Amino acid sequence: METKTKTGIGNPISRLEGKLKVMGKAKYSSEFSFENLAFAQGIQSTIASGRITAIDTSEAEKQEGVLKIITYQNALELKGYNGRFESPSTKGISPSLQTPEIHFYGEYIGVVVAETFEQARYAANLIKVTYAEDQHKTNFEEHLDSVYKPDKANGNPADTSWGDLEAGLNQAAAKIDVTYNTPIEHHHPMELHNIIAVWEGDKVTAYASTQMVENAVTTIAETFQMPKENVRVITPYVGGGFGSKLQLREHATLGIMAAKMVDRPVQLTVTRHEMFTAIGFRQHNRQRMRLGADQDGNLTAVGHDTTSHTSFTEEFQETCGLMTRMLYKTPNSLVTHRLMKLNLPSPRWMRAPGEAPGSFALESAMDELAHELRMDPAELRIQNDTQVDPSNDKPFSSRQLVECIRIGAKKFDWKNKWNPKPGHTQKDNWMVGYGMSASSRAAPYLKSSAEVTLKRDGDAVTAVLKTDATDIGTGTYTILGQTVAETLNLDIKDVQVELGDSKFPVSPGSGGSWGAASFANGTREACLNAINNLKTLASTDEDLTVAELMKQAKLNELTATGTAAPTEEFDDYSVYSFGANFCEVWVDKDTGMVRLEHFVNVASAGKILNPKTAYGQIIGGITWGVGQALTEHSEVEPNHGNFITRSFADYHVPVNLDLGKIDVVFVPEEDYIANPMGVKGIGELGITSIAAAIGNAVFNATGRRVRDLPITPQKVITTPVTA
Amino acid sequence: MRPFQFHCPSSAAEALQKHSRDQKTHYLGGGTNLIDLMKEDVERPDHLIEVADLPFKEITQTANGGLMLGATLNNNKTANHRLVRKNFPLLTMAMLSAATEQIRNMATNGGNLLQRTRCPYYFETSMPCNKREPGSGCGALNGANSKSAIFGWSESCVATHPSDMCVALAALNAKVHVEQADGSSRVIPFTEFHRLPGDQPEKDTNLETGELITGIELPKSEFPDHYYYYKVRERSSYAFALVSAAVGLQMQGNTIIKAGLALGKVAHKPWKLENVERFLEGKEASLSTFEAAAELAFEDAQPLSKNEYKIELGKKTLVQALVRAAARS
Ligand SMILES: Cc1cc2nc3c(=O)[nH]c(=O)nc-3n(C[C@H](O)[C@H](O)[C@H](O)COP(=O)(O)OP(=O)(O)OC[C@H]3O[C@@H](n4cnc5c(N)ncnc54)[C@H](O)[C@@H]3O)c2cc1C
Ligand code: SF4
Repeated sequence: METKTKTGIGNPISRLEGKLKVMGKAKYSSEFSFENLAFAQGIQSTIASGRITAIDTSEAEKQEGVLKIITYQNALELKGYNGRFESPSTKGISPSLQTPEIHFYGEYIGVVVAETFEQARYAANLIKVTYAEDQHKTNFEEHLDSVYKPDKANGNPADTSWGDLEAGLNQAAAKIDVTYNTPIEHHHPMELHNIIAVWEGDKVTAYASTQMVENAVTTIAETFQMPKENVRVITPYVGGGFGSKLQLREHATLGIMAAKMVDRPVQLTVTRHEMFTAIGFRQHNRQRMRLGADQDGNLTAVGHDTTSHTSFTEEFQETCGLMTRMLYKTPNSLVTHRLMKLNLPSPRWMRAPGEAPGSFALESAMDELAHELRMDPAELRIQNDTQVDPSNDKPFSSRQLVECIRIGAKKFDWKNKWNPKPGHTQKDNWMVGYGMSASSRAAPYLKSSAEVTLKRDGDAVTAVLKTDATDIGTGTYTILGQTVAETLNLDIKDVQVELGDSKFPVSPGSGGSWGAASFANGTREACLNAINNLKTLASTDEDLTVAELMKQAKLNELTATGTAAPTEEFDDYSVYSFGANFCEVWVDKDTGMVRLEHFVNVASAGKILNPKTAYGQIIGGITWGVGQALTEHSEVEPNHGNFITRSFADYHVPVNLDLGKIDVVFVPEEDYIANPMGVKGIGELGITSIAAAIGNAVFNATGRRVRDLPITPQKVITTPVTA
Repeated sequence: MRPFQFHCPSSAAEALQKHSRDQKTHYLGGGTNLIDLMKEDVERPDHLIEVADLPFKEITQTANGGLMLGATLNNNKTANHRLVRKNFPLLTMAMLSAATEQIRNMATNGGNLLQRTRCPYYFETSMPCNKREPGSGCGALNGANSKSAIFGWSESCVATHPSDMCVALAALNAKVHVEQADGSSRVIPFTEFHRLPGDQPEKDTNLETGELITGIELPKSEFPDHYYYYKVRERSSYAFALVSAAVGLQMQGNTIIKAGLALGKVAHKPWKLENVERFLEGKEASLSTFEAAAELAFEDAQPLSKNEYKIELGKKTLVQALVRAAARS
């Protein structure tokens, strides 16, 4: 066998599609063109609760180019809609325009279809809607007495407990009882949500920006009550998703309905302004943390109570207490989740749903406890490490949290830098502080299929890999190309990867940090099957190259499929990625402006398929964490119940200057229980506990504990010094 | 966006002529504000007259030792001009703190003066806003007003002026040159250019409809050595200020001979601090003097329900700007 390929897994090769993207040649869903394409513009409600009493479309209808105005009065009846909205699953029906009822400000109430985008948008502005307005419920504080216990919190039990929390707190030498608030945040992938719907008879093709092709097919089929075979979804490139594109939501239903009603291909793009209410968001979470520890820092009690809000149309709660259940050993634990219904859009999954806000509470509380104990916060984490998941008594398939902390501490020079006394270091007008946090995120692995076709020309073999998996900017093309190159021992330039088409074998789609692990294993399985088939056809057991095998079998072409799926063994373990964060912040002592100077992230996340794309995931996650910590929040207007800042001028995502220096370290890890390739997800690990590390550093700099995110100048200067 | 007619006049006279002298016509500079507002359906002009290419792109020295900044020159070229950097570094510092490189390359000096408020109600057409729709009420007055004014507001509007450049221009005692349709021109002192909302919040300035800004005049350089523009914001760049302070000082040893001061994002106009300027003149530069100056500056502040923090933050911002200006040389 010839020497091993240099473009297989583990190599930091650049993205295969990078050049296409830079040249504008990577085709996103809105860039497919059709003769006769019409454009749709959605109309959103401007009250938070009530019903539509009249819609005057007369002025809009007169305008040049307007083809159709669709409202609940003339919308297609969606037979799958049974008077209520499905609780959110990534599949399931996505109704729109079926009733005059308004459940939140910014709900889609109509759509204008016209010859051009500009005409549609102009006409939409001319439509006059009259409402009967009800008193809206949008104020979180005012409705705290209406909370209830949901059946599930994002598929997990709402409540779990073991031992006796109160007893554990009573016996503690040090304890804290504090409440944190994390605000409403929005995903805002760079590529706007979009659909182009093309009907041909009773078949529809949707060019849609989506993270999950198969789910999109199911949603369309169920919403329009048609066989799945009649639905095709195409999405070769997706410009970010972050959970907002797990489902095809109302806008997609509007686009497909509009195309049907005007009998032409229709494009509907959700504007940036609409995206604030149309695609889900992260809910406001209030989290009460009660921690107790004995003198040596052993946790005696861990309590985590989360209160959030959902909408009147769906029930969704991110599981803020998920990480609290499994990260540290404790004899007494109580984790609860409660919900209230508000006239706000439905919160949905957003990057690390649960862990992102939950880790802020847990890892800030651990820092507060360490401060009470006068203990190094890094040591407190190490002290409470466990190799058995306390929530289910299963062993971890691998857990290198302590290694992550030690490596990070060394890289950061934590022992020399960190000083327990807040306000220890001042440089000019800046107060310098250091903070750290531990993190963890489940490493799920799901069934995933792929198909590989080998073509031989003389001694040269090329491979084409197909799966309906998506590349949402994460590097799927590249890592799957590397997986093929590795398994078939080809050079990656001879490998072509095709993604994002429902004609291809089914994958679980990109989401929940399972994409890389699942797709790569499915791809490997298809390649291994190809080799086995070739060996059979060539009647050999020898480890020949694919070119030699094909020659021997007298084949010029061969196609093989493969499916990877977790075995039963997988369920006997808790499978997670782990990480540690260390950072240095500078806080202006007068104005409270926070500057992130240095961030060190250490991740133990299985086999790293490509250090370059993995690094991209982590710095993206850290950037999100910086936004969560310092800049991002949506304010609910007190009188009208809308998100009042619906533009990027007001909703502040961090800029380069906010980031400082970032170092990322991957800890080598071999975990073949997780899956045959030992791959774990990192996309969501990357954001987990970032905000806590920053908040802890702000406390270390100033002695001010800001428990409500984001940590804006206003909050820093109005939070009292407590240490 | 609504349909409109686009005009490209070749001279100021032609531009002035084309103006209908009502709200249906707008001049178009770099468009970084106006076009955004048209897309959001906030501004609905029938006619746009492009002025960005009119020949007011020079920076020239005036007879009395000051500078004339052309109205159609872009913000970056202005801020980085050799004479501006040398003689009016406070202006450079303020202008370069604004927006981004790309926006500053498009934005004109005239347009910067006339950019509208960032009050979120003004941008959201479904919300009440007297500035956008006179008589519809002021949403911010009892609503989301954490970024609203603490000085000079009225029951009908509590908005702030967002420009950084204008805060420096107020501190520097600039003047605005404008031309009228009949060919005549007038000069407006900067403090009288923008206005307080009163009961006409739809009017941001004392410019008459149809008047064209041709230049901004800076008087003889007074603060080339001791200056600071301090902008407090929620992220390190590409964000409007929460509050800002522009400080120019003329010093002899440690004694302040003359001061030029203004605050940003605290009122409907750049907030010139004339009484504080007088208070400082003749005093020794010291932290206690600066703190007393800040107390004086915020004496009349009237916070709304959610912006009281601006008083404390504003005082600290002004003190720091003074400290840094005095130290600088
Ligand atoms: C995202 C974003 C962030 C920003 N951040 C900041 C910031 O941090 N600080 C800051 O100060 N600014 C900021 N800006 C605002 C920016 O400075 C202004 O948009 C810009 O200065 C306006 O100039 P323009 O030439 O583009 O004006 P235009 O949009 O072309 O015009 C604005 C107004 O001026 C009128 N006008 C233009 N020229 C003339 C003239 N010669 N005579 C009479 N009337 C005229 C127009 O009719 C219009 O009403 C930001 C803008 C954006 C979009
Ligand atoms: S403060 Fe002024 S701009 Fe803001 S809502 Fe009130 S009237 Fe409109």
